[in-house]
Amino acid sequence: MKEDYLWDRSGEPDPEIQQLEEILGTLRYQPRELEIPADLEVGRKRNFFRMFTPALAIAAAIALLLLGVGVWFALQRLQTSPRRELAKNPAIPTVSPNQSPANVKELVVNPDHRETPVEMPHASGDNQSVATTIKHRNRHTTVRSTVDESQLAANRQEAQAAKDQLFLALRLTSMKLNYAQRKTQGPNIKENQHRIG
Amino acid sequence: MKSSAKTTLKLALLVVFVVLGTTATTMAQNARIQTSQLEALAAKASETVDVNLDEKLLALAGGFLGNDPDDRKVREIVSGLKGIYVKSFEFETEGMYSAADLESIRSQLRNASWTRIVNVSSKKEGSVEVYLMQTGSQIGGLALLATDPKEITVVNIVGPVDLAKLSQMEGNFGIPELGIDKPKVKKN
Repeated sequence: MKEDYLWDRSGEPDPEIQQLEEILGTLRYQPRELEIPADLEVGRKRNFFRMFTPALAIAAAIALLLLGVGVWFALQRLQTSPRRELAKNPAIPTVSPNQSPANVKELVVNPDHRETPVEMPHASGDNQSVATTIKHRNRHTTVRSTVDESQLAANRQEAQAAKDQLFLALRLTSMKLNYAQRKTQGPNIKENQHRIG
Repeated sequence: MKSSAKTTLKLALLVVFVVLGTTATTMAQNARIQTSQLEALAAKASETVDVNLDEKLLALAGGFLGNDPDDRKVREIVSGLKGIYVKSFEFETEGMYSAADLESIRSQLRNASWTRIVNVSSKKEGSVEVYLMQTGSQIGGLALLATDPKEITVVNIVGPVDLAKLSQMEGNFGIPELGIDKPKVKKN
């Protein structure tokens, strides 16, 4: 029954096993409290990127979003009408066909640092009024700004050319559409319609 | 905390993709067709019309329109348009162009976004095809391809087109109306 001691320490003790118990007993688990060294700084040496991964990801997503919106607005701005550009740039007044460049070449600026709309003498109606506002920064000087006449003439020529092209394009399109319309309706249908009418 | 950050991140990415997707879709639905392939025909043509009016030039021309009825009519048609592009070639003799020259145009118009609403074909007088691009309930653009043995005309209008108003333009600006189908008025 010597073996019982080996399994459950019952029965007659085995001296060999007892000797082994004594030798190995020094290595047995001995519970003790966790001792954290005072000089150890918890969490200080953590990886920066691992620590801020969610925040960085959110920031990157927002940056991408802003980039997308920026691209969108840039595309929109490329397609803005020249009228808006003219409104933004006070050096180029709006010119209507009935006005000569001489009428609009002078833009009077008020030295009182106030915005002064200048109505040109032969202007009438929405499309014909040339009202230009210039904000002047220097209080002590009166500036008589002269818009380059040749630039103005070039603008007029460009606008006239665009208008001519527009009319030509519309005429041509209209002719072709009417031809197609006549062909699809057919002469018999038309004749019958006239009889009914 | 960690899960909420992930959710926020997912939402932000979703928004980014939606924005980018919308931009791409809008650009893809552009009714502008490329007609530069036809430019080679200009050398053979006896008469060429080339009109390229983008949104800026249309606005410029629109600002130059007066207040007479014709100009007002044109202003109504042009308002909201993004561009008008016309290419027309007239030849001295027949057979100066082939169907392959037009294939580059037709292939673009075979796109699902274009619908052919009119197709008139006549050996004597030539053929006219009218295509419309629908964007929602509105017309997003028009393409017209008119051919006869001695002429090719390609019209591309980008933006909401009013076909009824457009077809009324003939007869204005000093160009006589053909009036082939107008009823004859009996004089008493």
